[in-house]
Amino acid sequence: MSTRLRRQLLPYILVSPLLVFIGALSFVPTVDTTVEAFFRVMPLDPPTAFTGVGNFRALFDNPVVITSWVNTAVYVAIGVVASVVLGTAIAVALRRRFRFRGVVLALVILPWALPSVVEAVIWSWIYNPTFGVLNSALKSLHAIGGYHVWLGLDRWLTIALIEVVQVWQITPLSALIIMAALQSISPDLYEAARVDGAGPLASFRRISLPLIRPAVAVAAVEALVLSLNIFDQVYILNGIAPLGSSVMLQTYVTTFEDLNFGGGYALSLLVTAATALLSMGMLALLYRRTEGAVT
Amino acid sequence: MKDLRIVGRRAGALAAAIALVTAGAACGSSSPSTSSKSSSSSITVAVAYPAPPKALLDQFTKETGITVNWVNIGWDDLQTKIAAAMSANTYFADAADVDWSKVGEYEKTGWFIPLNQYFNVSSLSSDMPQLGTFIVDGKLMGMPFDSSFIVTTANANDFKKAGVTSMPTTLSGWSSALTRVGKANGMASPLDIQFATAEGLSTCWYQMTAAFGGSVLSSSYSPEFTSPSSPGYKAMTWMVNAYKSGLVPKANINVTDYDGFTTEMAKNRVAAVMCDYSGSVASIYNVPSSSSVVNQTEYVQTPGSTGPGMNVANPDGIGIPRNAKNVAGAVKFIKWFTDTENQAIWAGLDGPKDVVSTFPLPARLSSFKLLEKAGNIGQASQLAAILSAHAKAPFPNGAPPWYVQFSAAVQTNIHEAAAGQETIAQAVSAIANTVNQLKSSG
Repeated sequence: MSTRLRRQLLPYILVSPLLVFIGALSFVPTVDTTVEAFFRVMPLDPPTAFTGVGNFRALFDNPVVITSWVNTAVYVAIGVVASVVLGTAIAVALRRRFRFRGVVLALVILPWALPSVVEAVIWSWIYNPTFGVLNSALKSLHAIGGYHVWLGLDRWLTIALIEVVQVWQITPLSALIIMAALQSISPDLYEAARVDGAGPLASFRRISLPLIRPAVAVAAVEALVLSLNIFDQVYILNGIAPLGSSVMLQTYVTTFEDLNFGGGYALSLLVTAATALLSMGMLALLYRRTEGAVT
Repeated sequence: MKDLRIVGRRAGALAAAIALVTAGAACGSSSPSTSSKSSSSSITVAVAYPAPPKALLDQFTKETGITVNWVNIGWDDLQTKIAAAMSANTYFADAADVDWSKVGEYEKTGWFIPLNQYFNVSSLSSDMPQLGTFIVDGKLMGMPFDSSFIVTTANANDFKKAGVTSMPTTLSGWSSALTRVGKANGMASPLDIQFATAEGLSTCWYQMTAAFGGSVLSSSYSPEFTSPSSPGYKAMTWMVNAYKSGLVPKANINVTDYDGFTTEMAKNRVAAVMCDYSGSVASIYNVPSSSSVVNQTEYVQTPGSTGPGMNVANPDGIGIPRNAKNVAGAVKFIKWFTDTENQAIWAGLDGPKDVVSTFPLPARLSSFKLLEKAGNIGQASQLAAILSAHAKAPFPNGAPPWYVQFSAAVQTNIHEAAAGQETIAQAVSAIANTVNQLKSSG
């Protein structure tokens, strides 16, 4: 084998373990799920048989699944908007160096570093209607007369409170992504703007915001993917009750509670498609070329 | 027995799942060949129970040469684990939980192997009254390892404080007594019934239906709860009304049964539990380190519509998954675990040090005799009497193979009815539709 050929092959050889790894853990299951989504796979009612779009039709005929899609849309809307807005605010606040900035940064990152199961358990105690901190704090402030049941009774309140936990967890990542983009902006631009008479708000709007747009896009897509796939928080805080069910939770219920694996595969496929389409749409909307963006 | 054994329920499940995989891998490494099933010196046991005392497990290892990797997973999560592993045709344990409700499902899917060749059904049945619950079409799918059944428990001190000296035996009498008990003890809501979407809610409905004198499904698995005059309909109405009227704490909409026992009854926030488990008094309420009602609670006759009602039996079993690597070891373990003396030890024969936490009652009558003779577990004779006279299977013909879907429909719809998201009639109709669909497809 010639030296040239060896050089040409080297990159492929180096990435091949990764390709095998990704292929085995991602590509093969995806293909398998896609194929099986068109089969009726029910261990309790064999045999497995091709059913075409039967699984998908059954899903759209199921009001609980429809409810879970609507709920998920709300989770996504709250999650994306709140995490990007809060993430940007935190990034701006932490952009400049100050004393104990490292400690504050570590505290901000902490919710992101904790497993979502642990966080949901912590918040289940905060929301606990008998001895939770939320009731106790609100009552101390005379904001409520008596203790409230926060989860499980009102659909939108339940969804909002579950999403608070999700936002609490994913916002640090958004903040880090946006902060990295903010720190890459040359101080000369702000200095020039200041000389031209621009205030902090105008500088942020005219300089920071356009230049961090790609980072905001990445943060928004990250929030979109995580919110669309929300499971742990919903399961721990509200069980499998349809009231606050997300589409990922419904995938779990269809697959492992109903033992309808074909239906579960179909729902997984729909979630994957929705994630891909919405992510691409969001990137197209937000991720624009930054060259010449500063006006 | 369901959420009673959900210790650290959902968070714990994750860690337990990891432990299970690790344990499974460890076991696999010592037994590379599945064909030589008795060659391994270790077995993995996955159940929703804490392990027996280490000294006794060590004794088992000494006697048999088999090391036991004990994996305790919450009941609901364990069922998911079993379904996932068996569907993927993957090894996960050598011996695992076979709940009474899963027997039909496991027989139909072949996920667990019949135990007939290892255990003599005819000779055991006289000593194990609930053995029949684990037999489907002549196949013994699991060995019962307890005599769990649903009971009613009450805090006698709280009732006395309200001037209730004899426990009411009817549900209407029970409701008015509880109202007085609540007022006398400063409890806004004195009764614990779980309403979280978990198996315990389904089981409670079967129990309440039995208390009203019926069953939710007929022997041919048809819905028997659609008429407003049926016991099942009345039971659901009674439960939901108890919640909506404030007899049951509002917080219970997201409280599982085990949470209710440990955070409400054991802390004296409620005075009674309607769907409690036989064994809770000894294993939860009389444990000084975690209970403030030690020696105050007792099992009472379950109230019915006109007099004492029936109690639903929900025994736990242990079986051998199809993909077990050490079948011989698993058989030896099951024989040891369900042995007369050991069953009595798990329930307190040798004192608290050897008790298996949350273990209700032995599966064997011979173990009961040992306990009664020793006299060191509270109300053993009362429980034995309830077991023999009042305990009945929730389904006359055994659990249907599609039980899991049925139970999911039951728990979600009763939960929704209590949360005010649907009416009783809608909940009943939704559950009945699910049953009819499952029957027609299965």
